[in-house]
Amino acid sequence: MENELFMNVGVSHPPEMTTPPPSSSSEMLNWVSMETQPMEPSLSRNLSRDCFFWEKSTEQSIFDSALSSLVSSPTPSNSNFSGGGGDHFVIRELIGKLGNIGEIYGTPASNGNGSGSCYATPMSSPPPRSMMATNASPLAEFSGDPGFAERAARFSCFGSRSFNGRTTNSPFPINNGSVAATVATSGKMTRVSSTPSLKPLTSQIPAGEYSGEVSRKRKVKSKDYSSFKASPSPNLSKEIEEKEDSDPKRTKKSEENADKTKELDPYKDFIHVRARRGQATDSHSLAERVRREKISERMKLLQDLVPGCNKVTGKALMLDEIINYVQSLQRQVEFLSMKLSSVNTRLDFNMEALVSKDIFPSSNNLMHQQVLQLESSSETLQLNPNISSNNIMDPLETSETRSFVSHLPSLTHFTDSISQYSTFSEDDLHSVIHMGFAQNQIRESNQTQSHTFQGPSSQVPSHMKAEL
Amino acid sequence: MASSTIQTLTTTFPIKEIFALHFLHSLSKLRRQKSFTGKTSERARKIKIAAYISMARATGGTSRRWSRAILWRLHRRAKARKILGYTKLKKRSSGADVGRIRRRRKDAEEDRLRTVVPGGGDMETLRLMMETAHYIKCLTMQVNVMQSIVDALSSA
Repeated sequence: MENELFMNVGVSHPPEMTTPPPSSSSEMLNWVSMETQPMEPSLSRNLSRDCFFWEKSTEQSIFDSALSSLVSSPTPSNSNFSGGGGDHFVIRELIGKLGNIGEIYGTPASNGNGSGSCYATPMSSPPPRSMMATNASPLAEFSGDPGFAERAARFSCFGSRSFNGRTTNSPFPINNGSVAATVATSGKMTRVSSTPSLKPLTSQIPAGEYSGEVSRKRKVKSKDYSSFKASPSPNLSKEIEEKEDSDPKRTKKSEENADKTKELDPYKDFIHVRARRGQATDSHSLAERVRREKISERMKLLQDLVPGCNKVTGKALMLDEIINYVQSLQRQVEFLSMKLSSVNTRLDFNMEALVSKDIFPSSNNLMHQQVLQLESSSETLQLNPNISSNNIMDPLETSETRSFVSHLPSLTHFTDSISQYSTFSEDDLHSVIHMGFAQNQIRESNQTQSHTFQGPSSQVPSHMKAEL
Repeated sequence: MASSTIQTLTTTFPIKEIFALHFLHSLSKLRRQKSFTGKTSERARKIKIAAYISMARATGGTSRRWSRAILWRLHRRAKARKILGYTKLKKRSSGADVGRIRRRRKDAEEDRLRTVVPGGGDMETLRLMMETAHYIKCLTMQVNVMQSIVDALSSA
């Protein structure tokens, strides 16, 4: 029966199935991966044929036999799993192997076959493969999870196609037919379960990382599998129910994917960016979707910044809110500046002392000392901001100012350098501009051009507007 | 991955002390100007400009496009065009963005955002949002510092 199944799939290694069953799970993996290697170019055709064949024939019996073969083959070999939790344990082991099989499917691709798909849909781009490598690790972590077995089943059925890019170990020889059989059975098992349970697994595969070339090719198989809506055998249904119940993640994700309503193409785009059902799957739209997701992420970030925006949803309204908030902040700055100007005229200008105590609660000693130094000399020097900026800036600026000033802050030295700026006019804006000039020069060009700015000092427009 | 980039971008927020220092010193300098006792609106405007400049400088350099834009507007106003280094400032917006920008112009809300946030004229949407987030952070910081200054001055 097994041989028949494998022959149906058009496997070129039917006799391999008759070899003694692998003594360990790794050998089983070998077994699986070997199949995938030669199978790729012809798999799609074979599978399409096989699907129809299976549909016509007594699927249940075939699946039962395949499943039983899979179940039976590891059990005698693997003493670890002997006599475990009964059916459930066997199933978990099987599913674990299926999950491994899913992982192994990546190896043929990674081994330079060119096409990474185990089902003859070559994944043309390397990046998805490399990205899929990252998926291998979370899956490895899953193996410790008691619910992994259930999830692995779904993974494997998708994984047969989706984990193409997995860079796992060297490929092992595997019988094509058995792989197809296992995949078919697992696919069928998952298929029999309600489609929401399928979707969670599809969503589990990270969405944002795939370029999405394979989606089109998967459609062939998806259609074929969709035609499979066969009633499950009692064994399979029981297994499915067992898998379905235990995973809370799945239910959560099924809610997330509730928007998917189409029944027909479950495996449409399950490999990569999670192209949702009924949506275009070409690379442009997928990239577009990734971009949109990024935008929505940033919008959420902005929502956190702007207070009171939790209820507003939607991009336009959110943007409105943000714009209003920014404008209100700017108005506040303007209002406060007006208030400051009125306060300034009234009081003496000992701000530095005041504020250094108020606003620098935890400033380091260096800053404090420099502030005090600067305050003491503030009356004599006009370029206080420049000095302070030279002293207390981020490392980038300080390095540049040092290069400009060629010395660490010492006030006398600063007076020397400041004397270059002696052509200050008494225009407020002019001084302010020179602040900006000097700063920017120091930052941007690392040249001693700032003193050249003294020339246009007289041209400083008094009509400088604050159109910030 | 995206969230981490966002976090790294927004955690480079301006340090209050640096801004306060810049601002205070510029204020002190302004105060000593003879024309300081002019109209309140004039003074207020100058103070506002000083505040924005200090804020732009307090962002740790020109890591943000809007800070660069503010400073660049200064230079432009001062007719310092003969210095080529500053024309390069604006040109840093790469041509790769231009094509995308033309496509995104149809979004009216975004354009409003661009007009509000300084330097947002030729940034694409994603970048614009990051800059907006950073700008909001800086603005709130600025408002807080200025408010505390006013309080400290008015109380003492």
